[in-house]
Amino acid sequence: MSEADRKARPISSAEQGEQIDRRDDSGPLRSELGQTTIGEGVVTRVAGLAAREVAGVHDLGGGAARAIGSVSQKVGLGDVRTQGVSVETGETEAAVDLTLVIDYGESIPRIADLVRSQVIKRVESITGLLVTEVNITVNDLYFPGDEADEASRVT
Amino acid sequence: MTSDSDADRSVSRRVVLAHLAGQAIDRTPGVTATAGPAGRWKTIGAQHTIPGVVAVEDGRGRVDIEVHLVVLWPPPMALEQLGEQFRGRLRRSAGTAGMSERLGAVSVAFDDVRSDTELA
Repeated sequence: MSEADRKARPISSAEQGEQIDRRDDSGPLRSELGQTTIGEGVVTRVAGLAAREVAGVHDLGGGAARAIGSVSQKVGLGDVRTQGVSVETGETEAAVDLTLVIDYGESIPRIADLVRSQVIKRVESITGLLVTEVNITVNDLYFPGDEADEASRVT
Repeated sequence: MTSDSDADRSVSRRVVLAHLAGQAIDRTPGVTATAGPAGRWKTIGAQHTIPGVVAVEDGRGRVDIEVHLVVLWPPPMALEQLGEQFRGRLRRSAGTAGMSERLGAVSVAFDDVRSDTELA
């Protein structure tokens, strides 16, 4: 379990129609019936997967992060799904920072708006956290043929 | 003092409830069990290992269940609802098996999210 997962966010549970107050001022209720926890890594992955759902988003992460990510993934250390995504979560809220590579020819403001909406929709509906902000950095543009050029350098 | 037969019954109850939890995970849409990166979240029964389920006697004759789940992307509903759905299934199964009184707290941990291609 990662450090992020250890900081899992507990939330309350209601069982078989029994109504339980979800939260009080002292934090989440821990019922005798059990609790539900959502790992911080889960919120990060939901945000990353949501961003990738938007057409025009080519990849996530900065150039260095993507280069290191591809190497570390090949040796089984990296997780490409969290590349370019940083999430800060509290008891009820989350703030998301994303670094994107966008397809050349797309409108950057339009794609950024779509990504912001999609990430807010997915994170809020899936995790129940209120997303307070989604900060987006467009780090690079992807030109069709970029990968072919990269491949030609290593043959 | 606990006799051997009491201990056997206790182990048996624990494994039966873990088995019911494993079945409830299988019947809950959009989730699968995970034993974790080190494979430590599991219950070892006489014939089967139940991955993603940890069953612990609470010392009062009840068994607390903790399940570790991977969510398939996109999840069919909010994670909290998925957790409730799982709990409901497990409670009903335990009731059918006459073990309602033995089932203690049921904790649900969502540990990962994966797409179909990542799971394949």
